[in-house]
Amino acid sequence: MNPPLLQVDNLYAGYNGVSVVRGLTLTVSAGELVALLGPNGAGKTTTLRAVSGLVERHGGSVTVLGGPVPKLRRAHKVARRGLAHVPEGRGILGQLTVRENLLLATRRGKVDFHRALDYFPALEPLMDRKGALLSGGEQQMVVLSRAILARPRLMLIDELSLGLAPILFSQLLPVVRRFVDEMGAGMLLVEQYAEMSLAYSDRAYVLNHGDLVLSGPADDLLADRGRLDAAYLGGNDRTCPEFLPAESQT
Amino acid sequence: MSIYIQFLLIGIGTGVIIGALAVGLTLSFRASGVINFGHGAIATYVTYVFVEMHQNGEYPIPPLPNPLAMGAGIANWFGANLDAPDIPTVIHIGDGTSVGMAAAIAIATSVLLGFAAHFLVFRPLRYAPATAKVVASIGILLTLQAIVVLRFGSRPKQAEPLLPDEPVTVLGADIPRDRFLLLALLLIVTFVLWAAFRFTRFGIATRAAAENEETATLLGYSADFQAAVSWITASMIAGGVGILVAPITGVTPARMTLLIVPAVAAAMVGAFSSFWASALVGVAIGMVQSLIFILEQRQSWVPDLDLSEILPLVLIAAVMVVRGDVIPGRGAIRAERLPLAYADRIRPLAVILFLIAMLAAVVWLPFEYRNGLNNSMIGVMLALSLVVATGFVGQISLAQVALAGIAAFGLGSYVAEGGIPFLLGYPLAVITAAGFGFLVGLLALRSRGPSLAIVTLGAGIAIEAVLFRRDGWFGTSGIATADAPEIFGIEFGFASAFPLGDDKWPSPAVGVFILAVTAAACLFVARLRRSPTGEHMLAVRANERAAAAAGVNVARIKLAAFTLSAAIAGAAGALKAGQLGSFRPDTFGFVASLVLVAYAYLGGISTVSGALWTGTLVGAGIGTVVGEEFIILGRYETYIAGTFLIAELALDADGIAGSTRRFNRFMAARLRRMLGQARPPIARTEMVS
Repeated sequence: MNPPLLQVDNLYAGYNGVSVVRGLTLTVSAGELVALLGPNGAGKTTTLRAVSGLVERHGGSVTVLGGPVPKLRRAHKVARRGLAHVPEGRGILGQLTVRENLLLATRRGKVDFHRALDYFPALEPLMDRKGALLSGGEQQMVVLSRAILARPRLMLIDELSLGLAPILFSQLLPVVRRFVDEMGAGMLLVEQYAEMSLAYSDRAYVLNHGDLVLSGPADDLLADRGRLDAAYLGGNDRTCPEFLPAESQT
Repeated sequence: MSIYIQFLLIGIGTGVIIGALAVGLTLSFRASGVINFGHGAIATYVTYVFVEMHQNGEYPIPPLPNPLAMGAGIANWFGANLDAPDIPTVIHIGDGTSVGMAAAIAIATSVLLGFAAHFLVFRPLRYAPATAKVVASIGILLTLQAIVVLRFGSRPKQAEPLLPDEPVTVLGADIPRDRFLLLALLLIVTFVLWAAFRFTRFGIATRAAAENEETATLLGYSADFQAAVSWITASMIAGGVGILVAPITGVTPARMTLLIVPAVAAAMVGAFSSFWASALVGVAIGMVQSLIFILEQRQSWVPDLDLSEILPLVLIAAVMVVRGDVIPGRGAIRAERLPLAYADRIRPLAVILFLIAMLAAVVWLPFEYRNGLNNSMIGVMLALSLVVATGFVGQISLAQVALAGIAAFGLGSYVAEGGIPFLLGYPLAVITAAGFGFLVGLLALRSRGPSLAIVTLGAGIAIEAVLFRRDGWFGTSGIATADAPEIFGIEFGFASAFPLGDDKWPSPAVGVFILAVTAAACLFVARLRRSPTGEHMLAVRANERAAAAAGVNVARIKLAAFTLSAAIAGAAGALKAGQLGSFRPDTFGFVASLVLVAYAYLGGISTVSGALWTGTLVGAGIGTVVGEEFIILGRYETYIAGTFLIAELALDADGIAGSTRRFNRFMAARLRRMLGQARPPIARTEMVS
């Protein structure tokens, strides 16, 4: 079996010397959609930012696409390896047109705008509009297509649902799933909405207060709502035999 | 009529270099979010390299500390007679190189300068507050300016014209051809930059990084690389156009360096985003300045007010009023840390002992040390004025010495000319300065960070040009005089009689008086930091919106800070006037304001102890006097201020005061551990606001 695209091992990461994520271990392999769930302040965003090299790491190791994570100053190098990170709050470039936003997906060569329109036909009439003038859902589509056009081998998406109506969110999830299946890429999807995300995921990890409290196949987690709720509400249910140790699940 | 057209079109020459500088400012701002006040100095430096290479074959080497000289000095102290080899000041390449060779070397130098500005200064400061970046760029200005003066002297040089300058007749006026060639060149450069930012992926990615550096990084673009490319390009434009324009503007250390002011005004009209606006407004400024020059000569209805000096300020103020703060912010990856503004502890016993020691020092020390102390104490006051405005409220001011000058000239007018008693005239002078500070503060209400630096710089220059250099209440074309301070018949002047100490000048009397005022100012500012107003000031510094939301009247705090700051600066200026007896407009020139900001950051911008350090460092202060015992610093003062300022900002924004405090705490903790009195570690409760 190929080595996983993302291997996080006993990661400690945070801000100003304080670890927000403590001892996290997770993997994402090719063709896999993995959900990273948890309530506010659980450390989900910090985990993604540690993978992209945007926050300080205090311990453990992260291997992304076969290499270590560089320092903040060289953070752009991870993207060049084939990682696409859709940050929280979307990361639309408001002063740039949709076309210019998409153009930045790759650093050289032509950009295949049709592929983006294939995933999101609604963008067609908006190509020459400035990003800031789009609605929240349209912005999310632009950012997702930008990530897709980069042809990444691994994609991280932070809070796809942020600021979106639930119905829009539920329409974006199948597109994300389609991308994983068609491209055989790996995806780590950070979400607060557990149930909707789990329906499209292969596996999931649940964080709370920086600790991994639950992990396993998405179907198992969906089946046992009680345990999931307990994990969200801070229930310390780590000894549960079906779900731990996390490593043995993969 | 044709003479006016002639002057208008001749002004294109200066206009092109202003426009080129403005385009470069816009370019480096768009790629790094920094406004480089040293950009004009880069043009000056490169032009000098070109002229010197071409005419004498000399390439300057920046002054470096010579460790051998120190060894020789110590050896000589013990009676040896060593002469350490000097580090050469220039590299000689024949008696002068060809134009092409000289130009190539000069352009290579501009590339180097651009790269150094990025790599040594602004890249280490990427996450520093905007104000610190502005101050660092002032460090670049001071350093380059100092090298030029040290290596080539301050006398003007003549540059050989590179472009054909035979006249062509336009609308009945004879205009040298080079003006039009220069204009064409500038327009081509502007077009290329505009197109690059509009259509190339590098340009689009640079715009992306300016809006949100994190997103650009996540897409695989290096903002660092973009910045480096832009700094080098901007530097090359400045140097290249500088060489071509040099025959028109003349080559002096100050000429192009100071064109940064109109250049900033031009870039401001284009909101630091539009290359076209920067270039065209820059050219227009040069043309209008030239026209004003001839109008002032020929037309009686035009007031002889040095209007061309005020033109940039008027332009900047107009942009501010019409559009507010137009300089777009930059979406940086990391939050900025502001200098630590800890409250200085006032221990009564320590203060009293220190005052007694100072009193003894200003009375009994040898006269040159007394003089140094007096200068230092005035320096402390000037630094305090910056501590209030910049340290506490985060509002940079590049007009402090001009405000001090208002009080100095005011004191001269009120007391020496107006016959008002000193006890009344001194506060009146201070109030006058405070009033001007209030006006500067009004401008500051609509601007912050870089644009505030621009406004205050413009205001300082306008005050100097319009008030100090003209005959009237606040100025003179020659030498102004101020009487010695006199309170209840006792004189505290430079030559006043004093019962104690030697009878040499400066009289201890002047020192005693300065000490009293400075001590009062220090205690006042230390108290202010602890007062509710002080807390409000820090809140405004940390986050204006959050402060406003918490019920702090931001506008009032800013106005109060500027008024108070100007009052303290004025008190210092009037002391200076009383100490000197006679002074010239240059004494309060705007370069002094820039040097002051440099020293204030070096000492520690946000605390009273920092101000004390600043006072120790300032030119002709006690630090210099002591230093001269070992090495001659005088000529290198500006150079040292500039380089040390950059180093200080890049390494640690808290100044010497902050470093000393950290060191003391570290040693105290070590000592306690050694003595076995380990205490539980105390959580850091300082506000890192």
